Amino acid sequence: MSMKFYLIITAIAILLSSCLKQSIPDAMLGISKQTKITATLRYEINGNLVSISVDDADRQGPGIHTLDCTKSSVYILSALSSSGEFVFTFFTDSLKVGSYNYTSAYGPMYVTTFQGKSQDVYGPTDHMIFNITTYKDGHISGNFSGQLTPVITAGFPNNIYGVPGSVLIKNGSFNNVPIVY
Amino acid sequence: MFMGKRTLTASVLFLLIVQANAQISVMKLVGNNTKDYKIGFGAFIKTGLPVSAAADVTIELGADIFFMSGYGTEYGTIMCPLKAGYRYTLNGTGQGFYVEPQVGFNLIGITSLPSESGEDINLKYHGVVLAAGAGYLFTIGGAPFDLNLRYETAVAHGGSNNFVSLGISRIISFKKRDTE
Repeated sequence: MSMKFYLIITAIAILLSSCLKQSIPDAMLGISKQTKITATLRYEINGNLVSISVDDADRQGPGIHTLDCTKSSVYILSALSSSGEFVFTFFTDSLKVGSYNYTSAYGPMYVTTFQGKSQDVYGPTDHMIFNITTYKDGHISGNFSGQLTPVITAGFPNNIYGVPGSVLIKNGSFNNVPIVY
Repeated sequence: MFMGKRTLTASVLFLLIVQANAQISVMKLVGNNTKDYKIGFGAFIKTGLPVSAAADVTIELGADIFFMSGYGTEYGTIMCPLKAGYRYTLNGTGQGFYVEPQVGFNLIGITSLPSESGEDINLKYHGVVLAAGAGYLFTIGGAPFDLNLRYETAVAHGGSNNFVSLGISRIISFKKRDTE
């Protein structure tokens, strides 16, 4: 009787654990192999809407990714749209829910391309603020805003800049952006 | 790198176990996303303490290694489970066919993977281990042996590593059965 009891308990436990759809590595990396996750990034730049959406964000394949956040020594969120690239660097080796602010006090930083010109954090009041509101299963979501300065003539380190702070990024949001290792 | 400090420890444990009693098994990871893994190998020390004419309580310490296909020994998974089980022979003699549920803890779990950017990802975990097995106990030249097949699952972080194992071992017992 007791042997039957132990066997039934073990069989049920194994059955239930085997129903877990992910392997331990996939669960730890937050990789969903069963469902498609749509990642999005939207913002307005001087009133012009930029919208990027990737249907199956966890499987963007090798090579160029349209929208992800890559971990190296820091975390780099990058997106590609028809108007150009959008990049923000989270200067941390351990990304968490919270606010990440980059100001021109840290030095010039490229953020995006708008109307064919690079837009940098450069002017004295320029900044980019990213708020990560959720970080779940290897995907981040949140919102952002910023103020940038256009590069009139590129020639780093001697770029010629336009009117400081003349480019505004508003109503920025990102959802389900996958963290890529 | 797969051959990190803990991996080295696990490998040394694997070799020690093999050297100690040559109790070995071949294994295959099953379930989602396991096609990238080659056939794995396990080595273990297992001992039984008779608690009745038909049954033993068993203790098993193992080391299981699964290498990823196409990467030699650079990437893969290592687990070192410590398990307790209840081995029950169906004919009630302590010999012949048996069934054995086991429960335990994964002392060391490491999975090393290549990232898309070319860097190594080393994941470390522990977790509960559950197994259900069946086998056949027999003797060769007076030495008791155990041929067994089992299904095992390690659970951690909301996921599970599952594998099927076919093994053979020489039985180590710290007590003679009363009927012997």
